[in-house]
Amino acid sequence: MTQLLLTRGLQDATRSGMKQMLSLALAASVAACGGCVRVQAPDKPIEINLNVNIRQEVIVSLKKDADDLITSNPELFPK
Amino acid sequence: MTRKMKMISGAVGLALVAAAGMAIAQTVAPTPLSTALADGSVGEQADGYMGFRSAPSSAVRAEVDAINIKRRAAYTQLAQQRGVTIKEVAAAVGCETLAKRVAVGRAYQLVDGVWRVRKTGEAINLPDYCAV
Repeated sequence: MTQLLLTRGLQDATRSGMKQMLSLALAASVAACGGCVRVQAPDKPIEINLNVNIRQEVIVSLKKDADDLITSNPELFPK
Repeated sequence: MTRKMKMISGAVGLALVAAAGMAIAQTVAPTPLSTALADGSVGEQADGYMGFRSAPSSAVRAEVDAINIKRRAAYTQLAQQRGVTIKEVAAAVGCETLAKRVAVGRAYQLVDGVWRVRKTGEAINLPDYCAV
């Protein structure tokens, strides 16, 4: 025999049964909101700082590349 | 004169004209940018780009802007090759330009945003992240 989840087999899953359950659920959620933590969107835009700090080890590893870039593009580095 | 000889002499003539043109290009009067660099109104920045210490003429601004755009393109390419950020490549180049390419009397800008002019015998106080 199939067990009807919504009404726990006490009665058939009728429309009225479902409406009852729905109204109960609604009432419960309204009542529960007394203790709700309200999350409100801030009025200021959310800023995410994408400034990645310059990593020293990367700068060190790029030293030769940087030098080569300068010497191979003299027109970009006027003295 | 045979046809072949005419062609050869024509080619030699063209080469001479080209060589003369290159010689002229090398001895041209200072450009607006080289003047601006020399008087310290334009200089190198720690961020790897050139900047204006004082308001530039439109010619100088155009030249510096064009250079900075090309620099950014070069930085972008290198950053992709090395798997680092463009900003890091630019900063690495900034370290090199500040360390080696700012002559006495030329202006430069450090990360604090302040423009300074390099004095005789003065070493530039490079940013901490620069390789020593």
